[in-house]
Amino acid sequence: MLGPIDVLIILLVSIIAGLVGALFGLGGGVLIIPFLTLVEGVPVPLAVGASIVSVVATSSASAATYVQDHLTNLRLGMFLEIGTVAGAITGAFVAVFLPPSALFVLFGIILLYATIVMIRARGIDFPDNVKPDRLSRILSLGSQYEDHSLRRVVKYEVTRTHVTVFVGYFAGIVSGLLGVGGGIINVPTMNLVSKIPVKVASATSNFMIGVTAAASASVYLLRGDVHPLLAAPLIIGVAGGALIGTRVLKVTPPTRVKVAFGVLLAVISLLMILKGFDVPVVL
Amino acid sequence: MDLNRLVAYSLRIGVFASAVLSMLGLLLWGVGGFNGFAVVAGSAIVSALASAFMGSGSGIIYLAIAILIATPVFRVAISAAYFANARDRKYILISLAVLSMLMFALVSGYAG
Repeated sequence: MLGPIDVLIILLVSIIAGLVGALFGLGGGVLIIPFLTLVEGVPVPLAVGASIVSVVATSSASAATYVQDHLTNLRLGMFLEIGTVAGAITGAFVAVFLPPSALFVLFGIILLYATIVMIRARGIDFPDNVKPDRLSRILSLGSQYEDHSLRRVVKYEVTRTHVTVFVGYFAGIVSGLLGVGGGIINVPTMNLVSKIPVKVASATSNFMIGVTAAASASVYLLRGDVHPLLAAPLIIGVAGGALIGTRVLKVTPPTRVKVAFGVLLAVISLLMILKGFDVPVVL
Repeated sequence: MDLNRLVAYSLRIGVFASAVLSMLGLLLWGVGGFNGFAVVAGSAIVSALASAFMGSGSGIIYLAIAILIATPVFRVAISAAYFANARDRKYILISLAVLSMLMFALVSGYAG
């Protein structure tokens, strides 16, 4: 039974999740799932159902800003969504057949990977001499954006598009299974494989996450895995947090903050894995 | 109006409406003495949505969730209309493909 205190705590934590998500370019899901399962003792399907709904809110709130700034590559996003949405539906349906312990372990592993990627984060920022592949030429995926820190317009091309769509399908499965956005898989792939500038990759991934999460959220909702008293504080909290985040926190966090946050995420992922192996983890 | 602006506005309005309704739902929950809201599934969600218009707190939260999920779906539909207007055939097909998968998720979720 959820009381007013639980709802209030969930609201506060989700504001932090929305803020931190905007600061580090993560969806709030990586913090919300461990919080709901380990601290509040919410059963996995209900935690995933509520989290995936809040991911729609985080993504839509921050995507609006990036789209207006013309940072998002709408064409590329629309095309890659074919992969991520198909994956999300697959994930949402497969989730029922996996035991919660497997989901805990999988979540821990993905989170650990996300942590490593985030701490190392050394993307190719302005790739030169990129030759667009055939798919990219047919769909005219190449574009440009105005880089405010460089004060110039950056032109870019997109290559190896088929690999990125395929990985997007996998990212969608992870999203549908675990109630996260999947951006942590999409952004590095777009940047390292398809040579898309990091800012465009993050903005476009954010844009795609809304639709990806909406696909699996509707499956979870209709299955009866979205609890109104979990969803309501999460929606309010992450929307508010993301709004503050995109307005106030336009600076990149210093390395020390990144490492500290990375250590926190690493601890959370280990706790999730332990929980998966039935080690009693109570916070 | 260009596609960027259309998309940005529709996303903002959707999230804002959903957050406001969620707040209203929680307020009504408090007014009602914090009595537990039940989880509903399948066709019961349709009746929950209808009860929102009779002032049911949990119904209003379900309406907030439905609006939120519909927001990105609406965004894809707007894009499809935009590309149709621009006679951009490839992208009409792409947005319709995404839209039909989203519809599939709704229909199959409802059935299962």
